[in-house]
Amino acid sequence: MPRKEFDLEPMVKPKSVAVIGAAREEEKVGHIILQNYINGGYSGRLYAVNRNAASDILGVKTFKSILEIKDRIDLAVIAIPAQYVPDALEECGKARVKTVVVVSGGFAEIGETELQDRIVKIADRYGIAMVGPNCLGVMDPRSRVDTLFLPTYKLSKAQIGGVSFVAQSGAVGSTVLDLISEEGFGLSKFFSYGNAAQVDEVDILEYLMKDKETKVIVMYLEGIKRGREFIEIAKKVTRVKPVVVLKAGKTAAGVSAAHSHTASLAGSYEAHEAVFRQFGFTIANDVSELIYYAKIFAYEPEPSGGRVAIITNGGGTGVLTADAVSSTRSLSLGEFSSGVSKDLRVKMPALVNIRNPLDLAGDADAKRYSDAIKAVANDPNIDIILPIVLFQTPGADSRLAAELIKIKQTVNKPMVVISMGSQYTQMHKIMMESGGVPVYDSPVSAASALEALYRYGLYLKRKQ
Amino acid sequence: MQLEYFKAKGLLDKQGIRSIESRYVGSAVDAVKFASDEPIVLKVISEKALHKSRAGLVMTSLAGKDDITRAYSGLERKARQLAPYRIIAQKMARSGIEIILGGREDPQFGKLVLIGLGGIYVEAFKDFALRVCPITRYDAREMIAQLKSGKVITYSGKAEKIIEDLLLKASKLLEENDRIKELDLNPVIVREDGYDVVDIRVLV
Repeated sequence: MPRKEFDLEPMVKPKSVAVIGAAREEEKVGHIILQNYINGGYSGRLYAVNRNAASDILGVKTFKSILEIKDRIDLAVIAIPAQYVPDALEECGKARVKTVVVVSGGFAEIGETELQDRIVKIADRYGIAMVGPNCLGVMDPRSRVDTLFLPTYKLSKAQIGGVSFVAQSGAVGSTVLDLISEEGFGLSKFFSYGNAAQVDEVDILEYLMKDKETKVIVMYLEGIKRGREFIEIAKKVTRVKPVVVLKAGKTAAGVSAAHSHTASLAGSYEAHEAVFRQFGFTIANDVSELIYYAKIFAYEPEPSGGRVAIITNGGGTGVLTADAVSSTRSLSLGEFSSGVSKDLRVKMPALVNIRNPLDLAGDADAKRYSDAIKAVANDPNIDIILPIVLFQTPGADSRLAAELIKIKQTVNKPMVVISMGSQYTQMHKIMMESGGVPVYDSPVSAASALEALYRYGLYLKRKQ
Repeated sequence: MQLEYFKAKGLLDKQGIRSIESRYVGSAVDAVKFASDEPIVLKVISEKALHKSRAGLVMTSLAGKDDITRAYSGLERKARQLAPYRIIAQKMARSGIEIILGGREDPQFGKLVLIGLGGIYVEAFKDFALRVCPITRYDAREMIAQLKSGKVITYSGKAEKIIEDLLLKASKLLEENDRIKELDLNPVIVREDGYDVVDIRVLV
């Protein structure tokens, strides 16, 4: 059944926010949410609502009911016990609130489907877009909207970026958010939509597809509510931007009591996977893969082919990376053209063998890397440049990291760095990623990310 | 409910999916007549039997009156506990690569189409690819490429084209027949010069 599209813009970029259930008690969810808005530096108009209200909470003007607020509210965050939610929502409707996030739990997830149906009916009747219940809600570091009830000291804030992350589960959602804060690519939007009572993954995909700030969509899914509609949006969205998906439930039993081989082979998880593959989603198998794939799509254009050049300051790691690249379905090591080989021979010291992987030796410095990458970047036989920088070696330091950032701007092929190590390496990883160079911590993760990038490019180029 | 074999065969015929020449036989004499001096296969068809070969309900390469008569009475004995059942006689397919073509209705996404390494390898290797109907030729190609056994079953360009065409036809069959809940064409024997659908199972 076709249904109307929800406008999620006022939820993500609200000019006015009311926190219903804001409280003085520090441990209360409503308190944390209000506190986060204040800490986050939200610059719109902020109101608190509490039935037993004092005149203000945390210095925010507080009302007994949302109906008392004279302002038109773009987003109301509801964080009160489940049984009071219908009344609060009814008042939101009367107050012409545009969007609502129901953080409260105690609905369908514990069998209270009737209560959930009631709030959906109220939201529908007033035309309110409602995310939740039983969710973390939304976050947008640009507009500084943050309905998450997680104390800021426990959850590091991601930088502003182009990756939007959608997670049905709040637990996986907050973990990934925390992990993303260590990545250079940064966050555009975060949605944790819980029970998906009204707004669901299809609506959110539709919104993110059109959202100009979102370059890459990353999803964690447990189930899909509207399969056919999901297929329709899936077809459209991957034409516009890459989508990475992690789906839970792989081990769930297949179709029980199947009468055919087909049904016993192809259960529900397989059906989901089939849809993802068919419409060009990149499938991740765990949380770390989600991040690897998000990173490659955030930083790199699709390559024109699958031939990789490995440039390393460690022989063993070069071989491991060659193995990882060759183990993928579609990537291979390229062979340097004779022109580039000659060029390299002139520029490289005698101890460097001119072949792929190109081992620059343990004393390689910024200059040697720079000469090698510039030469290889012009090679028509090479589509992807994969420098390995082991910062444990004498020649590798911040000057090399800075040089790679500089070269990256002149290279118009995908270029990804592998650096493995602890503190000193991590410091340079952050430096390089802030400068636009994606850094991977293992040959296998870099190779599978590049493979995903290449395959997405093939999907885009396909003829129907 | 399993659709009667020849009704199922009729559905395939309409899509131009060719299945091997078959007939129900009521006696060994009947089977010998059907064979008319060519080798045949005898199979027991019953709702209660999913894994026919594993249960010993398929006898192949039967040539000559004695051979056929012995196989027929053997099958009759085994099939007694599977009643109601029927025995079907089929011409022998020439050897080739065995694949499975299948489909099912998914409550979420609708009709799905499947291809995999077929015959007795289906359950052992679970090497299959799945897509939502309708599929395009690109999808068909991707499905084959996705199989670990992809290079085995498309050992020649001709075989590849045959399998792609079959996948597109199966997708159409599933789409156009709302009532098909599950479909197994297993095995389909593919050769350089053609193919034979050897076993058909349609659940409605």
